[in-house]
Amino acid sequence: MMSNKIAALAAMVGLGIALASAPAKAEENFGPPELIAAAKAEGKLVYYTANFAEVEQQVIKEFNKRFPEIKVEMVRAPGGQLITRVKTEAAAGKLIADVVDHSDRALMSELVDLFQDYAPPNAADYNPEAQISPKLWPRATLVWSIAYNTELVKDPPKTWRDLTKMQYDKQIGQVFAQSGGTTWTRIMFERQVLGEDYWAKQAATHPILYPSGAPTSDALVRGEIAIAPLLYNAIYPKQKEGAPIKIFFPPEGAPVNPYATGIPKTAAHPNAAKLFLNWCLSKEGQTFMIKELGNLTSLKEAPVYPEGFDPKVVKAWYPKFDEYVKLHTDWVAQWDKTFGYRQ
Amino acid sequence: MADAQLLDRRIEVAQSGVEGRRRNVLAGAWIALLLAILAFLVIYPVLTLLLGALTDTNPVVDGLSLSHLSIGNFLTVLSNPNVAEALFNTLVACGGGTAIAVVIGLLFSWIVVRTNTPFRGFIAAASILPLFAPPLVAGVAWSILGSPKTGLINTVFKWAGLEWRVDFYSLWGLVFVFGIYYAPYVYMFTSSALRNMDPSLEEAAEISGASAFSTLFTVTFPLIMPAIVSGMLLSFIVMLGIYGVPAVLGAPANINVLTTYIFKLTNWSPPLYNTAAAVAIILMVVTGALVYLQQKVLSGRSYTTVAGKAFRPRSLDLGPWRWLTFALGFLYLFVVVVLPMLALIVAAFRKFMFIRDAAALFDMRAYSLMHFNAIFDNPLTLRSIYNAVEVGIITAVVGGALAFAIGYTIHRTRLPGRRSIDLISTIPVAIPGLVVGVAYLWAWIGIPGGLYGTIWILALAFIARFMPDTVKALSTSFMQIHRELEEAAWVCGKGTLATIGTIVLPLARPGVIASMTLLFVLAIRELGSSLFLYTSNTMVMSVLLLDYYEGGNIGKTAAFSLVQTLLLAVLIGGANWLSRGAAQGGVVQGIK
Repeated sequence: MMSNKIAALAAMVGLGIALASAPAKAEENFGPPELIAAAKAEGKLVYYTANFAEVEQQVIKEFNKRFPEIKVEMVRAPGGQLITRVKTEAAAGKLIADVVDHSDRALMSELVDLFQDYAPPNAADYNPEAQISPKLWPRATLVWSIAYNTELVKDPPKTWRDLTKMQYDKQIGQVFAQSGGTTWTRIMFERQVLGEDYWAKQAATHPILYPSGAPTSDALVRGEIAIAPLLYNAIYPKQKEGAPIKIFFPPEGAPVNPYATGIPKTAAHPNAAKLFLNWCLSKEGQTFMIKELGNLTSLKEAPVYPEGFDPKVVKAWYPKFDEYVKLHTDWVAQWDKTFGYRQ
Repeated sequence: MADAQLLDRRIEVAQSGVEGRRRNVLAGAWIALLLAILAFLVIYPVLTLLLGALTDTNPVVDGLSLSHLSIGNFLTVLSNPNVAEALFNTLVACGGGTAIAVVIGLLFSWIVVRTNTPFRGFIAAASILPLFAPPLVAGVAWSILGSPKTGLINTVFKWAGLEWRVDFYSLWGLVFVFGIYYAPYVYMFTSSALRNMDPSLEEAAEISGASAFSTLFTVTFPLIMPAIVSGMLLSFIVMLGIYGVPAVLGAPANINVLTTYIFKLTNWSPPLYNTAAAVAIILMVVTGALVYLQQKVLSGRSYTTVAGKAFRPRSLDLGPWRWLTFALGFLYLFVVVVLPMLALIVAAFRKFMFIRDAAALFDMRAYSLMHFNAIFDNPLTLRSIYNAVEVGIITAVVGGALAFAIGYTIHRTRLPGRRSIDLISTIPVAIPGLVVGVAYLWAWIGIPGGLYGTIWILALAFIARFMPDTVKALSTSFMQIHRELEEAAWVCGKGTLATIGTIVLPLARPGVIASMTLLFVLAIRELGSSLFLYTSNTMVMSVLLLDYYEGGNIGKTAAFSLVQTLLLAVLIGGANWLSRGAAQGGVVQGIK
């Protein structure tokens, strides 16, 4: 009860600060006035994303609070299908997207030629490690955490290595390796940081495999599984709504997957696209995504951290991009074998 | 319209019987036109798909080149033990499902047509209700009910102190759900056959001393065997192509069937479309073999159950047993409609689906409208409903007209080339929706004139994909109308178009309206081929539903499923009501 009251008080104070600082924020640079005027004249943009539609709908809504004149039309598809669509449309000369937003930087690196030069006003504030091309920007930066169902787990794990304990036999859910860039980052982290034998030990606890983070988090809430490594942004909204879930960032490190987002050369609404990305990459946009959606940021100085993420304790872990590309096929095949996942 | 006029002219000329050559030219033009439409809708996309399966390239990105041609994809696929396992699972799930479907379908058609069971009309309606449930919705509902850990059925068993537990995350779960949901296909075929059967043979058997039971198995069922075989194969083929049910129930236990395997291939990073195309070709071969088998079994037999003699189908007096058959009907309705609807209602109104025990199920504090508020807060929801209805109507009208033209040409004319038309219009039944979506994308994106990005590309894909279903559904109506009625009109000097207008269309009207309604429902439900063809402006309900499901929100998925089900019920009810009015109007006009 006490902590609730404190939280409520803190929220009110936070709101007060936010309101008080609103005029100051208006001065944040979203682009030169001519760009904003041109974007408003275009009036819309088409946004292709591999992120979940529901999450991106919230981003669009927030963007529209600042720029209500610009309508964002979204096409959402899972990673593999989105890439096929972009490639096919581009080859036929019918790429409709004004912004392409993708979680797998390796897949995007093959398409760099489709994109135009673009940099946000605060380009210098970004961590260069998060970028694979000067044209593609880490609009969203996702971070892994471990979550458990408080109704089912009385003796919760505290570290990544705890997930190999036999006491959690058949209780853990996992996203399989082949699913895309974010999961690939996690399994790379597991092998490179937690040890060569981590996969085998984890596999020995008979985890249930899911095709992506969303069904995993749903299964966790329903109690189909009790514990799962999850992208923080896939489970945080459920905790916020009151689901019986606790989330923590393990001390060994938190694997981080920056997106690659760019504006195609063929964009029909380039100014609206630039303004949208400028806003998403701005301190205001990133702060919104951290606080409301549970993202991290690739800004060198994070404006805030998600709840429970203490940068002094938890170290964000970025994969080396050359290894990210080079090791993928072999390691995923080995992972499949270790976990008995049938390709 | 142009088609109809052409046909009209052809027939007028044929009637005059003077200018034989000109008649041939026009007949040839009509066949050529149909073949051209089919080439665009079916052949061209299938060829792109075949090319995709035989190369390692994207036909649009890398151009249509034959330089990379190899059977490498097929070899990879065939040598992969997991494909063999997926194929095995597919055959078990669909085979078992078909067995259940045949038992249920046959039982209910017998109950409805041949017995004096009370509330038969109600049982008849219940028997086709599952057709309206999108497979993904059925899968989600049964995972809420039948999950081994959190399923409501197990929760209730535990509450009742029973030791029983069910596990629907298994091959048997798949078999059961397939069986109960696809029984209507068997029902539709067998009930009309039973209704149209001359009962004199059954009477003969009974006079000779056979019991009602043995008459059923030695006379009745053998007589309607063609209908049983057709219904059986159709339900098997439909199950082969279903993605939603095995995706939800198979995934937690790592059970793959061919469709989920194909979906995985397209969804992996990087996606393996060419391999997916190769797996799809395997699926097509299996389906093709079944269609061939069906033709083989049915060829050389007479379907004639409708003779020139008037009769009234017998109705068996079951005595007190009629309450047992009624209870069976009610049980089916309960399992296939009431239980899943309850599951969806619980999921849609509950904040979270964590249910500790049966008592928690009735804790009203856990219920709210938050999922409905969330989905209607999303501007995509209303747009997707609007788009889905628009696509559904276009598909139903255009597809219905095309199917009528094709069906009439196949069954009512002796034009050369009609067999090829029959064959080509059957091909799409064999291609899984997901793969056909890629094929249409590859085939049609390059067409000048901006087809891509409009509602029409979706509608065309649905028209092509469901052509076999519509043509087959309409064919039944054509077969039921005796030629002599048409001939009478011809003798009276009416042209072919006039004959179609005054004889065929009014008589086939219930069939035409039923086919169009079916097409509308299928178009609204269709997911696989929509996935690649929709754009920001043309998002449809099924895609948004998958999005909610993949977004991991079972509450929103269930809420949107309820909205979709309600909408379908209202639209179909409305269409039914309208068509009834129209049919009566037609009859009245006919009498005047």
